[in-house]
Amino acid sequence: MSEKGGLKSLENGVLAKDLCVACGACASLCPYLRSTDGRIVKLHDCDLTEGRCFDYCPRTEVDVAKLHQAVFGRDRRDLDIGSTRRVVGARAIDLELRNRGQTGGVVSTLVSLALEEGSVQAAILTERRADLLPRGRIVRDSREVVTLAGSGYVAGPTLEALNGGSFENEDRIAVVGLPCQITALAKMRVSALDRRTPIDQVVLTIGLFCTWALSYGPFVDFLRKRVGRAEVGKMDITPPPERLLLVTTDSETSRIPLDEIRPFVRSGCDVCLDMTAELADLSVGTVEGRCGWNTVIVRTRAGEEILSRAEAVGAIETESLAEDYLGHLREASRLKKYRALKALEGKGYTDGGYLRLPNRLKRRIMSCGDEGP
Amino acid sequence: MSIITEGRSGQKVLLMGNEAIARGAIEGGVKVCAAYPGNPSSEIIGTLAKIGPELDIYVEWSANEKVALEVAAAASFAGIRGLAAMKQNGLNVASDFLFNLNLTGSIGGLVVVVCDDPGAISSTNEEDTRAYAKIGDLPLLEPSTVQEAKSMIPFAFELSEELGLPCLVRSVTRISHARGSVELDDPVPLSRRPHFNTGRPLVNVPALAFHRKLRAKLHRCRDIFETSEFNEYLGPEQPEALIVASGTPGAYAQETLNLLKAEDRVGIIKLGTTWPLPESFLVRQLRRADVILVAEDVDTFLETNLKALCAQKGRELGIKRFLGRGSGTLPDVGEITPDCLTTAVAEILKISYEARPPEYARTAQEAVSRYAPTRQVGFCAGCPHRAAYWCVKTALALDGRDGFLVGDIGCYSLGFGPSGFEQMKTLHSMGSGAGIAGGMGQLARFGFDQPVMTVCGDSTFYHAALPALFNAIYNQANFLMLILDNSATAMTGFQPHPGTGQNAMGRQAPVVDIEAVCRTLGARIEVADPYDLQGTIEAVNRLLVDEKGVKVLILRQLCALVRANRGEKLYQVRVDQERCLGDGCGCNRLCTRVFRCPGLIWDKEKGRAGIDDAICTGCGVCGEICPQSAILTEEI
Ligand SMILES: Cc1cc2nc3c(=O)[nH]c(=O)nc-3n(C[C@H](O)[C@H](O)[C@H](O)COP(=O)(O)OP(=O)(O)OC[C@H]3O[C@@H](n4cnc5c(N)ncnc54)[C@H](O)[C@@H]3O)c2cc1C
Ligand code: SF4
Ligand code: SF4
Repeated sequence: MSEKGGLKSLENGVLAKDLCVACGACASLCPYLRSTDGRIVKLHDCDLTEGRCFDYCPRTEVDVAKLHQAVFGRDRRDLDIGSTRRVVGARAIDLELRNRGQTGGVVSTLVSLALEEGSVQAAILTERRADLLPRGRIVRDSREVVTLAGSGYVAGPTLEALNGGSFENEDRIAVVGLPCQITALAKMRVSALDRRTPIDQVVLTIGLFCTWALSYGPFVDFLRKRVGRAEVGKMDITPPPERLLLVTTDSETSRIPLDEIRPFVRSGCDVCLDMTAELADLSVGTVEGRCGWNTVIVRTRAGEEILSRAEAVGAIETESLAEDYLGHLREASRLKKYRALKALEGKGYTDGGYLRLPNRLKRRIMSCGDEGP
Repeated sequence: MSIITEGRSGQKVLLMGNEAIARGAIEGGVKVCAAYPGNPSSEIIGTLAKIGPELDIYVEWSANEKVALEVAAAASFAGIRGLAAMKQNGLNVASDFLFNLNLTGSIGGLVVVVCDDPGAISSTNEEDTRAYAKIGDLPLLEPSTVQEAKSMIPFAFELSEELGLPCLVRSVTRISHARGSVELDDPVPLSRRPHFNTGRPLVNVPALAFHRKLRAKLHRCRDIFETSEFNEYLGPEQPEALIVASGTPGAYAQETLNLLKAEDRVGIIKLGTTWPLPESFLVRQLRRADVILVAEDVDTFLETNLKALCAQKGRELGIKRFLGRGSGTLPDVGEITPDCLTTAVAEILKISYEARPPEYARTAQEAVSRYAPTRQVGFCAGCPHRAAYWCVKTALALDGRDGFLVGDIGCYSLGFGPSGFEQMKTLHSMGSGAGIAGGMGQLARFGFDQPVMTVCGDSTFYHAALPALFNAIYNQANFLMLILDNSATAMTGFQPHPGTGQNAMGRQAPVVDIEAVCRTLGARIEVADPYDLQGTIEAVNRLLVDEKGVKVLILRQLCALVRANRGEKLYQVRVDQERCLGDGCGCNRLCTRVFRCPGLIWDKEKGRAGIDDAICTGCGVCGEICPQSAILTEEI
């Protein structure tokens, strides 16, 4: 039996506890919740005891085994990074996509291809305007995808666009999202509530790797003090040991040590278990130490199909990844889980908080502690 | 033409207390009347305004009570008769002038009618203004009946002229708003041409000399009161106990004795002149018994002063046992009701009496609730204030910095309650919202980081918000002021004000333009229509983040009652019950549970929202709120 609740429970259990990660799954469902400036705002009290807001939120009960079953139809095998078919390095062939892409342009290439060939008719992407606020955006024209390439490390309510969109003529939608957003999509899928979002039309989910995301308001205030009013272009994080946030404006590139950014990490990210979007069809991140290449984890047949087609039509090139790199990836992923459990404990959740973990997984995660993080 | 203008001596007519006061003013030869509306006093000037032109009386709605008193005093200074009317809170506003006026004195008869509101039926407090008479050494009259309310006014004019002092007349809700039979008199024939005697300046310096003179006037007043027809003793020569009463309890006392058949056991000293006390009269009457029950609204004004008198006259009067509000025999706060008075007297006389048997009370309650729906105090259907508060609530939530709104007195005060979504967080006197916001707006220097908003109506703006606004601009406070401009003094009955383009007597008047005033003062101004929710919310959010200074957002929309009275509707509104998903919607009845305009109803049979056509005023706002767009608005 999964936990039930309405807006009040969401408010008390998530919003008031500062666990919200601004994924947008609860927004544009009803007139009571609105997202603004990267915050979810309750406008009025709702006294329904069961609601979609609560049901979909990735910070209310997440039963890892159950969601895995629902998405993959089988039990989870890889305890560290979730189910995988294959893990490869990849990058776009098209130079514009490669340059404008955050890493290797794989995400934009795949979405663009899917739209072009018609395997999806719409995609939910995230746009970033001059105000740097990430907003969900419905894209139907493949040529538009490249204009939305790149990411800004700020959390934003992408899924609001899915909830609020009208997809009367479309039955195949792709969604690109952070791991929390992909979790929310999985929760939408398994929801027993009558009213549904257009989740049943979502046929492809592309997850982005994520270690944390920033809180819009405080971070942008900080950034504006740092770089002034100038238009911000690319933002990137350099690999260790340097660990700098590079912020490019017209005039210069500011190099900001990550330690200065840490205070703006959403506190809901501290308790996040998922680095590689384990419930996506396909997850994409960077290959640390190999500039311009993406790590791609193929998890489902849908994921496999779009990646193979992209290879076949010469839209991307792939290469295999070294065994020890994969080891690092697993370790990083497990470490994030370990930190999440510790953070939950630190926040006083002795029962694991919102997470329901199979014992096997829990033991595996806690083994990190033995080795020392 | 009305009975109030036409009635002749000896005629008996049924009048409302405030109409009786108006008639009294006419009989007393009043020439200038001024007031700021405030329940329960509004109908005095309301009545006079209608007949002013016909009787050649000048009547005005002033911007506030202090100005009203000054206008009436000016007539007096020029030798003719003036009257100012106000509610209890109003006397506080006027008091600064009053406590200088008492020293200079007045010339032509000057009467200040104050209508108190015991029980705070339509007020934010139940202040007892009688204390002002004592502080200011001014004569005070208290009518017990509608008849007295009329008769005391011509007397007050005469008294005022004889003493050269303004005379206070204190009415209460139960007199001002009650109806009673009144025997009329003819107006005094006065034909004076106003003229100010420049040889007799009215300057109260040196104050001490004037204070001495004032005390002498008060002593003379006491002598006059000794034989006043408004004080009387009713009862046996040697009663077991006495009731001393003024105001409505004076009338209730007779009912009480009647009910308890105790007329031959208890005597009533009914006082109409309560300051200064007619001491010799009282000493004569108080000798009759040793148990004294004092019945008065609201404070222990008489009780305390009588105790002082008895102490002074201890040798003659011996030791008395005082009962009343002070002793706990009567309730500490609120109105004196016939019930509580009767219960108290029964107890004193050891008569068994049950004012209202609990069984009866229950049946009555049941019967009433069967026929009258429970109503909440709230805004009318289509009220622009509801829309405005909806926007305030939404904008503050979106802003997310724990901002809040402070307010004051007007229709919009109801913003503290459910129909204003509980948005008003402080509520005090006229204009105090702007003053408080100005103070809050200074606290940033100590780390205060909440955005502050204040709200005031158009009438309140002219009344008392303006100085606070000057102050805030001058001292560079930081807040957002909403001016809810509904072009009416709606709460007190639609009196015209400086923004309406009409004066009290229905003549055209220049419009004092709030927007232009604020602009001239240097505030940043925007204007929005509260019925346009999105536009208003955006405007509020925009102005809230505007860092420095005083910002003014004028929310302009005609009072829904004014529009309804004109028979106008903006929209024909109906619910498409196919589109409305009812309880299946997930909106959790946003329209009827949260927005709650009385025009919206929940159709229990169909489980859908509906519109009560008889109540809906057609503002169309709910159409914007329904997430299903099931509320259809059709422009008319
Ligand atoms: C907040 C955040 C944290 C990240 N952390 C890591 C990390 O720790 N390690 C790692 O390897 N990779 C991380 N990534 C992913 C990485 O930045 C790249 O997005 C990923 O490598 C894909 O690169 P690409 O060139 O294929 O993407 P592109 O082709 O540039 O496409 C990027 C896509 O991401 C979407 N997007 C942009 N911003 C957001 C957002 N805020 N929320 C949801 N979707 C968005 C856009 O719609 C676009 O379609 C993070 C991304 C984000 C947004
Ligand atoms: S985490 Fe997502 S679903 Fe949960 S409250 Fe925040 S925005 Fe809403
Ligand atoms: S009287 Fe006018 S302003 Fe007052 S509540 Fe009613 S509609 Fe609103």
